[in-house]
Amino acid sequence: MRISDRRFALFLMTPAALFLAVFVAFPLFRLVADSFFKISPIAGGPRDFVGLDNYFRAFASEAFTGAGWRTLAYTLVVVTLEFALGLGMALLFTTLGRSSQIWRTVFMYPLMIAPIVAGLLWKFLMIDNFGLIGTLLHQAGILSNPNQIGWLSDPNIVLYSVAIPDIWLTTSFMCLVLFAGLQNIPGDLIEAARLDGARAPAMLFRIILPLLRPVIAVALVVRGIDAARAFDTILIQTNGGPQSASETMSLLIYRTMIRFGDPGLASAMGTLYLLAMLAVAFVAVSTIWRPGKDN
Amino acid sequence: MRVAERTKPDHGNAVATAAQPVLQTTARGSSRRRRGVNREGLEAGRRSTRTLLWILLAAAMVLYGFPFLYLLFTSFKTPIDTIAVPPTILPREWTLENYANALGRNGVLASFINSIQTAIISTVLSLVLAVPAAYGITRYQTLSGRIFIMAALVTRMVPPVAIGIPLASMMAAVGLSDTPIALSIAHTTISLPLSIWLMSSFFEAVPKDLEEAATVDGCSRLGALWRVVIPVVSGGIAVTAIFAFLASWNEFLFALLMTAIRSQTTPVVIANFQTQFGLDWGSMTALAAVYSIPVILLTLLLQRKIVAGMTLGAVKG
Repeated sequence: MRISDRRFALFLMTPAALFLAVFVAFPLFRLVADSFFKISPIAGGPRDFVGLDNYFRAFASEAFTGAGWRTLAYTLVVVTLEFALGLGMALLFTTLGRSSQIWRTVFMYPLMIAPIVAGLLWKFLMIDNFGLIGTLLHQAGILSNPNQIGWLSDPNIVLYSVAIPDIWLTTSFMCLVLFAGLQNIPGDLIEAARLDGARAPAMLFRIILPLLRPVIAVALVVRGIDAARAFDTILIQTNGGPQSASETMSLLIYRTMIRFGDPGLASAMGTLYLLAMLAVAFVAVSTIWRPGKDN
Repeated sequence: MRVAERTKPDHGNAVATAAQPVLQTTARGSSRRRRGVNREGLEAGRRSTRTLLWILLAAAMVLYGFPFLYLLFTSFKTPIDTIAVPPTILPREWTLENYANALGRNGVLASFINSIQTAIISTVLSLVLAVPAAYGITRYQTLSGRIFIMAALVTRMVPPVAIGIPLASMMAAVGLSDTPIALSIAHTTISLPLSIWLMSSFFEAVPKDLEEAATVDGCSRLGALWRVVIPVVSGGIAVTAIFAFLASWNEFLFALLMTAIRSQTTPVVIANFQTQFGLDWGSMTALAAVYSIPVILLTLLLQRKIVAGMTLGAVKG
């Protein structure tokens, strides 16, 4: 007996679908359910239904709205800088051609480094007193004192300092993806533009970037989602401090759950965070990705 | 090898269009090549410009490579020099003291074994689930397949912090808390959607005639998949395995939430150095170096495959 192709396809997908249902969908369901309860952090403690109370508390707390804005600012800074640097490097590698191939490989190395290690090593470069960056800038005569910039201790700039490892880690990804996209631009198109007398800026903005648009969109969405979830690099550098100035949403939820022992509130925050991400994901997937179809 | 390189000038880039290599081969080999006229369309012309660009590249490479080199240099300093004010770039005295301290600590070697175990289990689990699923999605193009790959991609958006705690309590309920199995299941929630996505791209490149011929010859569909299609995409499976392995090897948040003493992986141990032992920067840098170097070497060895995997999904879109 031969089952239909449709059944056979379903049969192949079932194990993975079951896995995702049990280990992603079910925990998510638990998260949403927990958000309506006031839960004692002690195992087996009381669990009282409080309706939407946790959501009201989340929106009323400055920590939550602050973390929301910081997550947004962090994501925008990371993605913008990564894109600018990644595009610059991709154009550089393309222009230099094959002879730069080995360097393209070397440029990839941060992608393999654990975010926790990247955060650690940048903390070591930026930390007060024995941080190397302050010392080098001081020796170069730019700073009057090695601790003039409190990279990780000044609440006004710390959110941008903690973004540096993230940018350093994944500019390579942007570069790789954009480089691959650049290889797909037909050479005669560039040549035609050159014969028409197009100069470099016009070439970039009128021809290259519009042709790369789909690749750029995918790269920005993929990285934007990752940056909005950043946790490891920030935790190890500042743990969200000083004065919560680098506390993004992931950190706030983690601390609410673990440190402040309020799983109900943390679940409400997590649910809102997830809804925001899914809204972005939905728009992105439906307009750009269209996976599983031929292009 | 040389011929292959000619027709496929950028083998790191599995998605180069067919038109471009043709263009390149015609331009290459001509006498114009030495002057670098339009070999790749975008390639710069004048020698002075090229020199300037090389200098720019060198500067970028130094800036980009320096942070990790500094970590390496620091790991060879004496523990006191590690936090000297002002810091020096190179060690005043090269020593392995930090390595001895880091690796000699309780639980550090065990954490390496945990990391390896977890990453291997998670990689195998990802592949076993993703390969048939991706095949079902790409080969049969059913509605359920399209819905499924969308759903799998949406799970990529789920913040680990949101499901870490519920997952941990589920594992505790079945008696798996603080085991490499529990953590590798958590890691698979990250790598499975990615693996399905990657494998779908690889299966799409396999001509349908291949397994049709096999089924005509009397193979069952499952047999055709196993004996004909899987050998063809073995390269793609390797790429997917690398990504799944790296995702688990470098993961921190689930490891932090779901492990205690028995199954702690090295990233958690590295982070714990900060609190548990005061600020032992020397040991931290040594352990970070030991943990990162194998995967960096792996990257350099397998770079073509990795680049192919990274760019495949994105550039296709």
